[in-house]
Amino acid sequence: MIETEDLRKTYGNGELATEVLKGISFRVDAGEYVAIMGASGSGKSTLMNILGCLDKPTAGRYQMDETDVLALDDDALSHLRNREVGFVFQQFHLLPRTSALQNVLLPLIYMDDYPDDAQERAKRALDSVGLSHRLRYRPNELSGGEQQRVAIARALITNPSVILADEPTGNLDSQNGTEILAVFKRLNDEGRTIVMVTHDRAVAESADRIIVLEDGRIAEDRRTENPMPVERAAREDQP
Amino acid sequence: MKMFRLVKEGTRALGARKLRTFFMMLGTIVGITALTVIMAIGAGTEREVMNRVKGFGFRAIIVSAGGGRGPLGPRATTTTLREEDVEAVRDRVSGIEAMSPTAMKVGVSIKRGAAQTNALVFAIEPDWHEAWEWFTSEGAPIEAEDMASLARVCVLGTSVSRELFGEASPIGEYVQIGNVRFLVKGVLESRGTSPVGSDFDNRALVPLTTGLRRLFNQDYLSQIRILVEDPDQLEPIGEQVRKLLRECHHITPPEEDDFRVRTAADVARMVRGVSGTMSTLLTTLAGLSLIVGGIVLMNILLISVNERTAEIGLRRAIGATRRDIFTQFLAESIAITSLGMLIGAGLGFGASTLVGSMTTMKVVISWTPFALGLGFSLMVGLFFGIQPARKAARLSPVQALR
Repeated sequence: MIETEDLRKTYGNGELATEVLKGISFRVDAGEYVAIMGASGSGKSTLMNILGCLDKPTAGRYQMDETDVLALDDDALSHLRNREVGFVFQQFHLLPRTSALQNVLLPLIYMDDYPDDAQERAKRALDSVGLSHRLRYRPNELSGGEQQRVAIARALITNPSVILADEPTGNLDSQNGTEILAVFKRLNDEGRTIVMVTHDRAVAESADRIIVLEDGRIAEDRRTENPMPVERAAREDQP
Repeated sequence: MKMFRLVKEGTRALGARKLRTFFMMLGTIVGITALTVIMAIGAGTEREVMNRVKGFGFRAIIVSAGGGRGPLGPRATTTTLREEDVEAVRDRVSGIEAMSPTAMKVGVSIKRGAAQTNALVFAIEPDWHEAWEWFTSEGAPIEAEDMASLARVCVLGTSVSRELFGEASPIGEYVQIGNVRFLVKGVLESRGTSPVGSDFDNRALVPLTTGLRRLFNQDYLSQIRILVEDPDQLEPIGEQVRKLLRECHHITPPEEDDFRVRTAADVARMVRGVSGTMSTLLTTLAGLSLIVGGIVLMNILLISVNERTAEIGLRRAIGATRRDIFTQFLAESIAITSLGMLIGAGLGFGASTLVGSMTTMKVVISWTPFALGLGFSLMVGLFFGIQPARKAARLSPVQALR
């Protein structure tokens, strides 16, 4: 469960101060699949960074499960990201010249107690995104969709309470984009909580719930009653 | 252990960019190579000094005829060092255990029948054996009666003996030294070759009186060896002897001595001379290259931090703390200098061996430069790695991921 209350974020100060988030309050329960949608400049990236515990709001409250996130120091935030948040980025951010397996293992390196079954967990994570046959492949030997699936496996390995995906299909062609959305759908069906940020309505429609940001405020928060088939959503992603 | 995993992450990048890694290591490699060579030469020099000083004697003062400061021995033509000088020193300087005045000629012909060889001939007093701690291994040494009677007896070095008699004992046989027939009464212990390669055993000893009057036909000495009772009094006694001899020879300033007084300390100074200059040069080179190498390392690491901003952002996002990032980059820096140290030590050992075989300088290869090099490279890696590591750790994850 994550819950925000009146989140505000202001950049700069004095006359140059720009308020990017103007009071964001919402709640995502465990097992939900939520898309946060908005045009560029709507504040969705800022919100994403705050939700991912990478940045702090100027004011407001942010709770993740029982934790008051804003009360934590830098080290505690790092541990929280390590344990509770799984990131998926638009640019994949895989380590070059490093095998898929090693990339997936990366978050475990920063745990205080490295699990004995790390290799097994990494293999299981890669298996769950359908890449058990690509363990030794390096990023440059994989397609874009495969690279993003490695990144998803990396997000899964610490068994986080929420997966945060930032424009996960933004760098992919329609077929690969479809693949990735299908993976998210399946992970959500298995009980994963997913928050996805996108500017694209068609991609957003693949989620169960859409929060639309406009000018730093929530303009719309609705359920997608009849979610579009994933294939169609991805096709409309392309111009 | 987490630390171990971080170090492993830090070193992972090194193999991927070999040329860059090499440039980061270069300064350390050159510095440690120079350091290893310096220490090998230094240790070699000290061993040489010990050998020479031991050969010279820790308690010995040698007064040679002839002035000047050249490295050459006494000039045979200098006639100013005389038996009266020996008496004067014996009478007026205390703390002396033994004195051995010697006259010497190089390349004197020694014959036995058809066999002939050239050797150093020393005309000595019986105290010579004591003063040089060099005794006969066979037969008898030169004795007081031999001196008194101007006896035509001699003691041979093993090389001369082998040259003229083969494996047979020369005792009781006759040899012709110069134009005079001598009875061989003893053979000296073998001392082998000197550090500069001359044969210590290619010599013959005759009584001083016999040598001066019957063989060399002269009344002057080549050198006087003085053995002091207390090694701590070596320098003061040496100075006393010098003053006394100037007085005896009627030398007044600004005239220079017409003799030379040398002690073990002078010998050590002479041996250290050449390699000292070399060491200073190499030490400067080692120091400079370690510092310059460190600065190069730091700059490349700073560039690398810039290039890897996104990677650092990712690591922060998936849970690395500032300290983790700092440790990881510092580990990279230290790994580079440690690796450079290993290569430098290897090259240094090779270079030392080469110097030892291709020049007259003596080298001793030991583990000490290895330990010192490890210390230095860790220090360089640590010192010059801190700045880049700090820069990496301070990156804001949001900025880094953008």
